Amino acid sequence: MDGEEQSDSSLRAIAIVVLCCGAVKMLHLMGVISVEDKVDDDLEMTMVCHRPEGLGQLEALTNFNKRELQVLYRGFKNECPSGVVNEDTFKQIYSQFFPHGDASPYAHYLFNAFDTEHSGSIKFEDFVMALSILLRGSVREKLQWTFNLYDINHDGYINKEEMTDIVRAIYDMMGKYTYPALKNDSHKQHVEAFFRKMDKNRDGVVTLDEFILSCQEDENIMRSLQLFENVI
Amino acid sequence: MAGGVAAWLPFARAAAIGWMPVASAPMPIPPKDKRKSQEGLIILNVSGTKFQTWKNTLERYPDTLLGSTERDFFFHEETNEYFFDRDPDIFRHILNFYRTGKLHYPRQECISAYDEELAFFGIIPEIIGDCCYEEYKDRRRENAERLQDDEEMDQSNDTTPVNLTPREYLWRAFENPHTSTLALVFYYVTGFFIAISVMANVVETVPCGLMPNRSKELSCGDRYALAFFCLDTACVMIFTFEYLLRLVAAPCRFKFMKSVMSVIDVVAIMPYYIGLVMTDNDQVSGAFVTLRVFRVFRIFKFSRHSAGLRILGYTLKSCASELGFLLFSLTMAIIIFATVMFYAEKGSTASKFTSIPAAFWYTIVTMTTLGYGDMVPKTIVGKVFGSICSLSGVLVIALPVPVIVSNFSRIYHQSQRAEKRRAQRKSRVAKIRAAKIRGTNAYMRYKHSGVMDSVEEASKEAGKLLVSKATSPPFESQHHHLLHCLEKTTNHEFVDEQTFQTNCMEISMMNKAGSRSSSLASSPRLSSCCSRRHRKKSSFSLPSTNNQELSTIQIRERPVVNSRSSLNARLNDDGGMTLKCDASYITPSMVTLSPPAVTSSGGGDGPTGSITYSQSNIVRVSAL
Repeated sequence: MDGEEQSDSSLRAIAIVVLCCGAVKMLHLMGVISVEDKVDDDLEMTMVCHRPEGLGQLEALTNFNKRELQVLYRGFKNECPSGVVNEDTFKQIYSQFFPHGDASPYAHYLFNAFDTEHSGSIKFEDFVMALSILLRGSVREKLQWTFNLYDINHDGYINKEEMTDIVRAIYDMMGKYTYPALKNDSHKQHVEAFFRKMDKNRDGVVTLDEFILSCQEDENIMRSLQLFENVI
Repeated sequence: MAGGVAAWLPFARAAAIGWMPVASAPMPIPPKDKRKSQEGLIILNVSGTKFQTWKNTLERYPDTLLGSTERDFFFHEETNEYFFDRDPDIFRHILNFYRTGKLHYPRQECISAYDEELAFFGIIPEIIGDCCYEEYKDRRRENAERLQDDEEMDQSNDTTPVNLTPREYLWRAFENPHTSTLALVFYYVTGFFIAISVMANVVETVPCGLMPNRSKELSCGDRYALAFFCLDTACVMIFTFEYLLRLVAAPCRFKFMKSVMSVIDVVAIMPYYIGLVMTDNDQVSGAFVTLRVFRVFRIFKFSRHSAGLRILGYTLKSCASELGFLLFSLTMAIIIFATVMFYAEKGSTASKFTSIPAAFWYTIVTMTTLGYGDMVPKTIVGKVFGSICSLSGVLVIALPVPVIVSNFSRIYHQSQRAEKRRAQRKSRVAKIRAAKIRGTNAYMRYKHSGVMDSVEEASKEAGKLLVSKATSPPFESQHHHLLHCLEKTTNHEFVDEQTFQTNCMEISMMNKAGSRSSSLASSPRLSSCCSRRHRKKSSFSLPSTNNQELSTIQIRERPVVNSRSSLNARLNDDGGMTLKCDASYITPSMVTLSPPAVTSSGGGDGPTGSITYSQSNIVRVSAL
């Protein structure tokens, strides 16, 4: 009798195990749960291709001539054959110029500044129009663009937190090995200095007009804005 | 570093405007962009295949040939392009590197050709992209191994037996039995005795028939104990002798003692000696019996005689991880199934599955599909799991086996290739040698034709022109002129190997022969290195010393070069040239007649000089 009971119990245990496995398999077959990773979906995203507007139209929209646009597009297409840059590629490209430190935070802010429509990807038109402002635009346009870069949440004001983030991102690009060595609050002091200069009415935020006025007063900033005019 | 995205540098610089308001210090002045005309196409003509790219593309990597001013050396003004006399197929990949920033390695190209091209264009191979890097490294390693093999073979073949000490000679005889007959004999004798010893061990245990007055069956070993003992002693003597000889001859004794073969040797002969020591002690007779088991290790000594066995051993060693995996997975499966079977069969009466370890035996026998049948499940659940066990056993064992098989196949083919290369080497070396000899012979022929140029007219008149001057390309003629200058500098001449050897032999033979032509020998210009005696023994025979007539000087077994050298000597009024048998060149002794009247000019009033030569080494020199 004992033997039979024992064999019955063992039989029951085995049956339970088999049932569980079968249930899981059935659920998977029905698609309710997924056991394997779905890798196939990712592939579809990269097949998107975008072609820019015609050369003539772009020339009208921007301050570049045809030859410059050609050069820009060739470089753009080389790196992004699909015609659009997503944030990861953008970060990767930008990081290659700053191998010492981590350029991803600043690249993130840059990406948001370039991606005016907030679509998650930069097309060639966005790219070239931003470059047009940066390289061939007027002083006011440049300063406005820079203000948009600093104003992370696009509310029209730069507050201390946003500026701290930006400055920290810039410092991150320096990396670890600097002289003099970077301290934990180096960027905080920098932010304080910035606010002291820019925030005219001491209300804790910098508006666009304050920003433009303060920058126009500073000789260094004015001169450095003209630095990259002959880049192309 | 950033070369691949150099096209985006303008963007990165433009984006730097975002730092300007934050900056507290003035910015440095940007560099002047002097080369405004960087926007242009460059034509690269590689052996006729034209490649075009932007100048900027090449400028991305300024530390390579194409990116630096080094390419100006290859600028071809007439066609306004850069011409490279290199392989266009491989150049394609190099140019793609500039374009995409990734260097690829094409599988069908030869690895050394590819390396050479990379070295020429100043590109380091380490930047080959991940997609192709493994393949590149594998091919490179293979090539290096092959070259190393060849070198080793070279070295091993080059050491002539003359230069070896007895110890090195002994070691070489042991390692390559084919080098001398004694070694070969020893090799086969040891092989024979290994076989005898192993067979004796086997036959020892065969029952040999009943002893009278006893009912127990005796084994042959007990019946003919003395005979087997003598045989064993003889074998062990030989093995010991061989081992000691190897130990003495080994270049590094410690390393030799650590090697596998020597361990096998020791294990093979130890039981005998231990047995000798311990025969009287009954207590350790059990251990003694165990030791006799080790005598079977003598069969491993055959691995010295069989390459296949060595390969098998090497394969098992290199597949250690796969074997380990096999063992591990089998152990896991055995434990699982044994447990399941034990609990499944626990209920049945008179079950053989008394414990889990007892069930191990059943599991192993079932998984390897042996199925002895001494333990069989009786319950239905037991039978179900038993069948699952045997199915899974087949799978688990079948998985690592192909890996081992492929490893064995690879190593076996490698050794086959090595053997083939070794066999081909001899014919290859012979062919290379033949080509070399043809090269030197070309020089000889040039000398014939070149020097005899001036006397061609004379020979033409005589109508005995046997040599026609071959027209050689400018490179060759300049090369020959160079060799000629060397001859003049050293006052010696080039001859080919055969003639040199025969000359040496002939000189030694002349030592024994009688002296001839002492009058000639007394010529002060005649000398030889072997000894002064040779002058007398040189086989000149002058039928007549008539200067006005055609005289024949027969120089036995001397190269044709003699005639010319005498002419040369005449022209340059050289001193005597020496004969050196151990040098790689030979300078025949100069023969001057008194008065030396051999001229090279075809003019004269009547006497005709005809110079003929034939490869049969009989030279007629006309005396004018």
